[in-house]
Amino acid sequence: MKPDGKVVLLGDMNVGKTSLLHRYMERRFQDTISTVGGAFYLKQWGPYNISIWDTAGREQFHGLGSMYCRGAAAVILTYDVNNLQSLIELEDRFLALTDTASTDCIFAIVGNKVDLTNEYALLLETEEENRPEKPVTGCISTKVQKQVHLDDAVALYKKILKYKMLDEKDVPAAEKMCFETSAKTGYKVDYLFETIFDMVVPIILRQQAEGPLQTVEITNYKSAKRTKSGCCA
Amino acid sequence: MATGEPGSPMREGTVLPKEQAGLCPTDTGGDEPSAGPEEQEELLAPQSNGPVRVADGQGDAQEEPSDKELSDSASTDNTLEDSSEFGRPLGVGVCEPGGPPTTHRDEDVTAASWRARRKHVFVLSEAGKPIYSRYGNEEALSSTMGVMMALVSFIQSGDNAIRSIYSDDQKLVFVQQGPLVLVSVSRTLQSEQQLRQELLYVYYQILSMLTQVSITRIFERKKNYDLRRLLAGSEKILDRLLNLVESDPGFLLGAVRCLPLPASLRDTLGTLLQKAITPNLVFSILVARSQLVTAVQERAVIEECRLEPTDLHLLLNLIGASSAFQAGEIWTPICLPRFNPDGYFYAYISYLDAECTVCLVLLSTDKESFYAVSDCKRRVEEAMRTQGSLQVLSGGLQSPSYGVGQVGVPDLRHFLYKPLDIPENYRQLPQFTSPELEGPYCSEEEQHRLFDLYHYLHSRIHSTSRPLRLIYHVAEKETLLAWVTSKFELYTCFSPLVTKAGAINVLTKLLRWIKKEEDRLFIRYPPKYSTTPNPGKGTKGGRPDGAENGFFAGL
Ligand SMILES: Nc1nc2c(ncn2[C@@H]2O[C@H](COP(=O)(O)OP(=O)(O)OP(=O)(O)O)[C@@H](O)[C@H]2O)c(=O)[nH]1
Ligand SMILES: [Mg+2]
Repeated sequence: MKPDGKVVLLGDMNVGKTSLLHRYMERRFQDTISTVGGAFYLKQWGPYNISIWDTAGREQFHGLGSMYCRGAAAVILTYDVNNLQSLIELEDRFLALTDTASTDCIFAIVGNKVDLTNEYALLLETEEENRPEKPVTGCISTKVQKQVHLDDAVALYKKILKYKMLDEKDVPAAEKMCFETSAKTGYKVDYLFETIFDMVVPIILRQQAEGPLQTVEITNYKSAKRTKSGCCA
Repeated sequence: MATGEPGSPMREGTVLPKEQAGLCPTDTGGDEPSAGPEEQEELLAPQSNGPVRVADGQGDAQEEPSDKELSDSASTDNTLEDSSEFGRPLGVGVCEPGGPPTTHRDEDVTAASWRARRKHVFVLSEAGKPIYSRYGNEEALSSTMGVMMALVSFIQSGDNAIRSIYSDDQKLVFVQQGPLVLVSVSRTLQSEQQLRQELLYVYYQILSMLTQVSITRIFERKKNYDLRRLLAGSEKILDRLLNLVESDPGFLLGAVRCLPLPASLRDTLGTLLQKAITPNLVFSILVARSQLVTAVQERAVIEECRLEPTDLHLLLNLIGASSAFQAGEIWTPICLPRFNPDGYFYAYISYLDAECTVCLVLLSTDKESFYAVSDCKRRVEEAMRTQGSLQVLSGGLQSPSYGVGQVGVPDLRHFLYKPLDIPENYRQLPQFTSPELEGPYCSEEEQHRLFDLYHYLHSRIHSTSRPLRLIYHVAEKETLLAWVTSKFELYTCFSPLVTKAGAINVLTKLLRWIKKEEDRLFIRYPPKYSTTPNPGKGTKGGRPDGAENGFFAGL
């Protein structure tokens, strides 16, 4: 069964892509091991089957990014709010991988692991409706000063629009597409995925109206290395 | 044996008791390691007072009162030698003072506990840059690794290669592969050869992620490249491999363990995999809890090469070291270094049950074939559900293998059995079987001790200078017997009170039991896909009549 639309998680290793997806899909947080290659998930969203690709952030698998991104309707660029480098990597290493995405692809920028910051308690108070499943018990003093602020993510979002030569008026607003989450506590994880899926549906409809765009792309795609060299040389 | 003697191992087994009086409780050194069956017979039926070479080479004849209690056999030269050899290092080997920290990476490399580790493994580049350390942070060890590299290159400068250094209670073994240097610092009793083999496993696991060409190319371009950039995140895979190597006899024996299953069910599953194919799919492997259920290979591939146990071990380790979630389907490039160190396969990995015990691995040569391959999995899964075999597989895994109790002989504690009578023209995955570890071998410490013993016996059997065919070894807490013939390689572990006669008796029963169970314990007729019959192999693509064939029959 061919999925109807594709959502791809990109970002440096260890930022929590796999954890976010498991929090959403399996409703729990558990120890993960660094992803190899990519992992494919199917999510039923209304009448649609949305495919989600969780990719490996490791440099070793970097070359595969564009393959996983091909025809994507949405790309979730993930960083760790306590690691500025992980945000920088998004621009330096990962943005170019999205060149193969669908032209009307939407972008989300997600800062994960907010539970580790000293702002977290404050966030919880101000946003009653986004209470995590489990209240956090850790004391504030063990928390760290957040390294990356939402403003930085917004700035990156605007850079992406420039890179893609998109007009701010034609795409969702930066404030709407920059998220801060915690896979550990579940904070805003559902909100993130559901917002994205809702936005993907119109793209799916457009893609379906234009015919099976992705499948055509996939079968026509000629990889330089697409030889029998994978087998006996 | 292609000669068609179904009961070959058995036949020898039954010969034994009659000769037990003459079975000298010492190493029976074979002068000709490639002894044919006839010689085999001879070796297995030594004359009561005939000359039998002993392991340490002392004396030509070894006279041993045939009725002597084996528990007392420390009086033989052989066991004396063994006991002393085992006494000291074993004590060192099992101690891990203070208990290891939760994550090995954070370990303090200046602490005594770090030094006391059973076995360290380091990987460095030719330029002396640290790449991996089993315990402790490689960064903190960069000066240590620098010294190692200095050693390697100093000796290299004299046109020699450093192979090993022996100290009081440690062995240092060096392996250089291309631009990588691997070092093992071990307090175990493993032979240099075995440690070298382990380092090669580490090297191959690195290749399985990066391939040989790319490593070579990287270092050609930049001699002091920091390979950790590419291996970051893979430390757990190597950590896990090193733990497995010490606990899974498959690595030692170079063989794969199969999940015990009724042959009919295994056949059905093989047929299923044979049907669920798509272009460029070359291997389909069904695994349950790291044990092979069945593997199917494209016919064109099998003609040239075969799936090596090493490659399967590395693949399964990589899978085991990745997060297991049923919902996700993994698609990743992977190299099977023994098959081809320079090429990538695309591996599709998916768990078929919620507990993630049953795993389907499909290897394709086409990077773009994810959806087609995923569809193969869907077909396999559906068919397995309809047949009820999925439930059988995941349900049957409550006890993943079998207990030694099934053999029905009380003195037998554990064994490793690897059939060797695989006909030349039927290329077949080497396999082995062994029961679960139980009884006295439940703790990690005791498991290490037992595997140390197995390693020791294995090194004696496979010694390059003096290979042995039969070793009787009385250890501190158990008695072991290792025996290699042209038809099998067998390591058995008995309770310490077993008598020699008792041990022989047990062997006979064990071989009889294995013979009876071989259909269940091993894949005897590995299937392959492609509809064209296989010319010249006489099997006509079908399953040959099992009864008339040897232990392993045609593909
Ligand atoms: N405190 C905290 N830890 C998290 C959170 N999300 C993930 N982690 C931890 O961060 C580590 C990395 O998480 P993963 O989900 O494996 O990271 P990844 O982005 O998938 O990494 P790669 O697969 O290597 O690309 C794990 O140890 C997680 O337990 C979070 O929200 N809060
Ligand atoms: Mg991951």
